[in-house]
Amino acid sequence: MKLAAVTLAISGVSTVASFAHAGVEEGRVKSQVCAACHGVDGNSVIPTIPSLAGQPRQFITQALFMFREGQRKNEQMAPFADKLSNADLNDLAQYFSAQKPTPPTRKPEGDTVARGRAVTEKNNCVACHTPTLVGQQHIPRLAGQHKPYLLEQLKAFKASTRADLDGTMTSAAQGLAVDELEMVAEYLSTLVAP
Amino acid sequence: MQLQNTLRAAILAGLAGAAFAQTPPAPTPASPAAAPPAWKQGMSADQEKSTLHPFAGHVTGRTASELKLNTITVPAGFKVELWAEGVPDARSLALGTNGTVFVSNRLQSNVYAITDTGGKRDVKLILKGMKSPNGIVFDKGTLYVAERHRITRYDDIESNLANPGAGKVVVDNLDPTNQPGHFWKYLAMGPDGMLYFNIGSPQNITMPTYNEASILRVDIKTGKMENYAQGVRNSVGMAFHPISNQLWFTEHARDWMGNDLPQDELNVVKTKGQHFGFPFCHQGDVLDPVYGGNRSCSEFTPPALNLGAHVAPVGMKFYTGTMFPKEYQNSMLIAQKGSWNRDIKQGYNVIRVTLDASGNATKHAFVDGFLENDRADPPMWGRPTDILQLKDGSILFSDDYNGVIYRVSYAR
Repeated sequence: MKLAAVTLAISGVSTVASFAHAGVEEGRVKSQVCAACHGVDGNSVIPTIPSLAGQPRQFITQALFMFREGQRKNEQMAPFADKLSNADLNDLAQYFSAQKPTPPTRKPEGDTVARGRAVTEKNNCVACHTPTLVGQQHIPRLAGQHKPYLLEQLKAFKASTRADLDGTMTSAAQGLAVDELEMVAEYLSTLVAP
Repeated sequence: MQLQNTLRAAILAGLAGAAFAQTPPAPTPASPAAAPPAWKQGMSADQEKSTLHPFAGHVTGRTASELKLNTITVPAGFKVELWAEGVPDARSLALGTNGTVFVSNRLQSNVYAITDTGGKRDVKLILKGMKSPNGIVFDKGTLYVAERHRITRYDDIESNLANPGAGKVVVDNLDPTNQPGHFWKYLAMGPDGMLYFNIGSPQNITMPTYNEASILRVDIKTGKMENYAQGVRNSVGMAFHPISNQLWFTEHARDWMGNDLPQDELNVVKTKGQHFGFPFCHQGDVLDPVYGGNRSCSEFTPPALNLGAHVAPVGMKFYTGTMFPKEYQNSMLIAQKGSWNRDIKQGYNVIRVTLDASGNATKHAFVDGFLENDRADPPMWGRPTDILQLKDGSILFSDDYNGVIYRVSYAR
């Protein structure tokens, strides 16, 4: 076995700049339209609108793809996602994933942390979303996300109205009682992403 | 019927009301949770906290600059190059008479055609809005496409790439239960002019019903279908031996039986109707903990070769070209997508399998280097998925994780 001589023999296919952060700058320019709702650098200040800063890159691409393809439905997002090319999705994902999430300002009250942690551990949320709930690959960061947004998504998964990659989240949310959804959303929204 | 049911429910409710009139109303029970996804089915209680999960591909594909091409290894004399990019979810491959390379999707909904004029490659989207059009095969001018629920034909496709039309149905209603898992179909054209395809097990491990967990074939003229091989959990790679004309196929074994069990299989069908063991017996010698109890592995056809646990063999082809060294003639090239249901990952490569005079199969390394760190999540940067031999004797293989296609050539 020797190392193969690997050549790039593609012609007629547009090549991309080879330095790693090309998409970040392109994404920053393209993201200006997103800022009105998702906030500066993707740190949303509107509780029903998710923060994108520091989300895993593959998750952002996947989410935008699902909006564009009509799998995830949202009146506000649809007109924006409709126009995006694959390159746009990737650039935006590179940009937002490289931004630093602002820590949540809400502080946990009472036994929120203990109860929320118990539910997330019992239901094995940490298996996919990682032990610190910062997400990975196509799985989103939950730590520090806005509570109203999280709760709306959890309720939608529970009602089978939120598009799901393979049924994992629908099944997971349907295993939670209504008061547990609230508890989980409260807990996650106060978690400071490490 | 509806009225009857309603009436019956009302009567039952009335009875219940009468019987429990003195007790306070019970809290509304939570509606039953949806079944977990097919890949989670069959986990044992002590696996509930497992962090193992299937990997999702990059839905838009990745570009050359994001691939670690210089880590790919092949035997001396061989060369690997990136042949095409920008084909998201590039899965099965088929070659047209005029050299068009057709590429299908497993989880997305498209079929692409790549034309190569003087080294300039053009990726065209030719069919869209399909339901998991995983299986494609080209024969005598026609492109056949297997979606989850049907097989259609597009005649004289290479003259109609810009407008292939709606296609004609060969066979329909292949997915009457809307299977939760393994609904994607591989397609191969037999030397008998019949189309061969899989209907997988709907779950990780379950008792299959009717045509599930089998390989079927359909007469393209009449649409008449018959079961060809049974006890096949899911085969997403099939090819006919160029001399014996026997059907060889890869098979993914069940998950959640541990890191080393059971092994994925390479099988050969010698007689129509053979049973390959699922769900009773795996890898020829391991009884299933749930379904194997009253059975014996000797009842079933054993694999021609066990390929390793969770290596996930996908597309396969017999090499019949003249570009590669002589010992490659009629050997099998098998793309292995790689494990997820294993703590230390393996696979993520293209292997070669040779047969000796007695038909004994032996495995050899061919293309490696996609597995970066066998304990990382994800452990790989690419996943080989199907193989195609070009007219010049070089081969292409697809990578559905990155949406790209590579070419392997040989020069002495």
